[in-house]
Amino acid sequence: MFLFANATIYIGLAIAIYALLITTLGISTKNQKLINSGKGGLIALFVCAALAMISLFYLLGTSQFQYQYVSDYTSSELPIIYKLTALWAGNAGSLLLWTFFLTLYTIMIAFSRKMKGNPMVPYISAILLANAVFFFFILGFVAKPFLLLDTVPLEGKGLNPMLQNPGMIIHPVTLYLGYVGLAIPFAFAMAALILKNVDDFWIKMTRRWTIIAWLFLSLGNIFGGQWAYVELGWGGYWAWDPVENASFMPWLTATAFLHSVMIQERKNMLKIWNISLIIVSYALTLFGTFLVRSGVLTSVHAFANSNLGLYFLIFMGVAVILALYVLMSRYNLLKRSAGEFQSFVSKESSFLVNNLLLVGAAFAVFWGTIFPLVSEAVRGTKVTVGLPFFNKVEAPILLSMMFVMAVCPMLAWQRSTVKNLRKNFMIPAILAVVGMILMVVLGIQKAWAVIGYGVIILLLITHYLEFYRGVKARRKMTNEKPLVALYRLMIRNRRRYGGYIVHLGIAFITMGIIGSQNYDVETMKTVALGQSIELKDYRLNYERLDQKKEGINDIVYADITVFKNGKRLGTFQPEKVFYGNWDQPSSEVAIISSVKEDLYIVLSAWEDDGKATFVVKINPMMNWLWFGSFMIVIGALFAVWNGKYGNVTPRYTGVRKEVS
Amino acid sequence: MKSKFCLGLLIIAFIFQGSFLRVEAKQFDYKSPEFKAVASQFACTCGCGQDHYECDPNTCNLTTEFKADLVDMMNKGWDKDKIRKYYVNIYGEEILTSPEKSGFSLTAWVLPFVVLGAAALALFIIIRKWVKKKRTEEPVIEYQNTEDEVEGEILSSMIDEERKKYL
Repeated sequence: MFLFANATIYIGLAIAIYALLITTLGISTKNQKLINSGKGGLIALFVCAALAMISLFYLLGTSQFQYQYVSDYTSSELPIIYKLTALWAGNAGSLLLWTFFLTLYTIMIAFSRKMKGNPMVPYISAILLANAVFFFFILGFVAKPFLLLDTVPLEGKGLNPMLQNPGMIIHPVTLYLGYVGLAIPFAFAMAALILKNVDDFWIKMTRRWTIIAWLFLSLGNIFGGQWAYVELGWGGYWAWDPVENASFMPWLTATAFLHSVMIQERKNMLKIWNISLIIVSYALTLFGTFLVRSGVLTSVHAFANSNLGLYFLIFMGVAVILALYVLMSRYNLLKRSAGEFQSFVSKESSFLVNNLLLVGAAFAVFWGTIFPLVSEAVRGTKVTVGLPFFNKVEAPILLSMMFVMAVCPMLAWQRSTVKNLRKNFMIPAILAVVGMILMVVLGIQKAWAVIGYGVIILLLITHYLEFYRGVKARRKMTNEKPLVALYRLMIRNRRRYGGYIVHLGIAFITMGIIGSQNYDVETMKTVALGQSIELKDYRLNYERLDQKKEGINDIVYADITVFKNGKRLGTFQPEKVFYGNWDQPSSEVAIISSVKEDLYIVLSAWEDDGKATFVVKINPMMNWLWFGSFMIVIGALFAVWNGKYGNVTPRYTGVRKEVS
Repeated sequence: MKSKFCLGLLIIAFIFQGSFLRVEAKQFDYKSPEFKAVASQFACTCGCGQDHYECDPNTCNLTTEFKADLVDMMNKGWDKDKIRKYYVNIYGEEILTSPEKSGFSLTAWVLPFVVLGAAALALFIIIRKWVKKKRTEEPVIEYQNTEDEVEGEILSSMIDEERKKYL
């Protein structure tokens, strides 16, 4: 097994190098045979990565502790699902997962029906192969997944209990699919530039892939937030940790790209900008990996410190320099087709403002994340840049972003006149202001909340009007029933209405964030058995403290009966779990969820006489956040779904070469 | 005598009540907004990556003592700025969860907005250039309605659909 598993990595590396060389040679000599050989190499490479994954799954599943990775991250009593998910608990395994996804994406593109006979394929393959060479090199020489130990330990070190949560199954996988997914638009962009293609084809194909990567990146972040909320016991979901920032930055720049690409499609403008956004998004995924793997910054997500980060930094540097070189060498070609604007107030300009804010937000995150390093380099003083900084700096930028999002759908392409603006915005603006006044009257008086919810009211109305006008216009021509008209309207314009659904999702998430950040209430109390804790409308009766055993873990739990306004909601059990093979205990919180708010109960400590300390928190509107996340997924899927209408495979009109 | 005894009992009860109250007052709510305002300024250095408000005193000894010190200072009547100054003097800026708004650290706060402002200005100039270029070339369409636009799009998609059906 040892030989087989290692062979998958080293043969993989050899194949990757071979395929890269043969594809490049094929491109330069215009020899289809060589290209086909390279394509065969892609399949072999995928098989190698898949076999390496299966090998590691097998070793983890059967607890073969003679392997360092297995003994470092699992133990024999661990449930099988966590034994398997330990594959991405450490450096080497998670990079293997990354490599596997990379090879998977590569063959999906190289052998896709839409790309058949397309001369871009060899270039895209070569660029992705260069990535694959790097990853196989790392797996072969830096972070080796199949290292044997000198002595076979009887038991493994076990998996960090924090990672023993369903979040572990899905969060890293989706996040990596998003990360790796951003390499695809990068490869498309580079291939197009090298080929001097400035047509629409690549941008349409790239957008699809970017939406897919964007969707996975969103899912990764959402699942991460949900996991933190239920597992860490602090009642939050986003901590602006360097690693969270690392996945948020490419999300922001990819979002910017998805919007600005519409201008390129419509007006044949902003080509350089769009390609730059793709390069930046891709580079940021590598930068994120550098942050996680190098240990230069303190983070709850950090892997064991290693020199791995340095390799990523070098790889990122090389990739960015090469990409910029290609971009500059094609500068004239891209510049030539620049168009014009008709007015300051138009959909085009609002997209540009949207880009400004999204990239500005990404820059602010980037600056905050690296500032500790900058400060240390400049002054020799290390500073911490944490949650208060990011909340203060990002809140105005992202709120302005919400405002642009609210206004943009109502602006016309080309030019919006004053009359047009008045007609479209008078009613939504009045309603938003009325809403804000009502909020103040009803007691919502925090400035951020009032402004934030006001903007969201505006957003909801403008989006409603978009749907309403679409349905009305369709009915005028077809006399369909409203629901039928809505359905047909949407499936015939998937991208547009999918995008609006995503906007609504973001609005719900923002409502959840504003509610939970501004109106959360918390208390920490020590009570004796039979006593109760009161917080707002809730009364929590502490009724029992007991202990049970689950496997090798000891669990201390309390029975708490919860009443809301005198009405009994039930008995709940917050727990503290003590692990047989881990020093730190962890909290299993009790969450009582409703549309209005979550009651979050943590059993913090107890004494011999039965007294116990609880942290009780009320988090308003948390379900709005999860519901919004769900809408984002629905919207993004709706936009990329290959329906009967629209989304026709774009026709390639670019440069023709003899090889494909 | 009886009334004196009763009075004595009352006094004892009163004293005890006082001590009970004091016991009650000893239990400080580490999750109160007042404590949050003070404690969330300081980063816990135990490696948890949280501030001293969030950090769990049951798993981190460091924060237990830190929290107790903070409460002492609050009881002395120190406000959050004074407490902040006190700790910065001892540990330096590193103890804070966000950089100071003075000296070099001010750049952390200001630079994002300076960059954003500069980029906004650049964007304004670029759009103005594009608009001017367009105006000199051709007269602009005076009025275009989003409603017309939506109708136009729907119409063209329907025509497209029909065309596909028959051609």
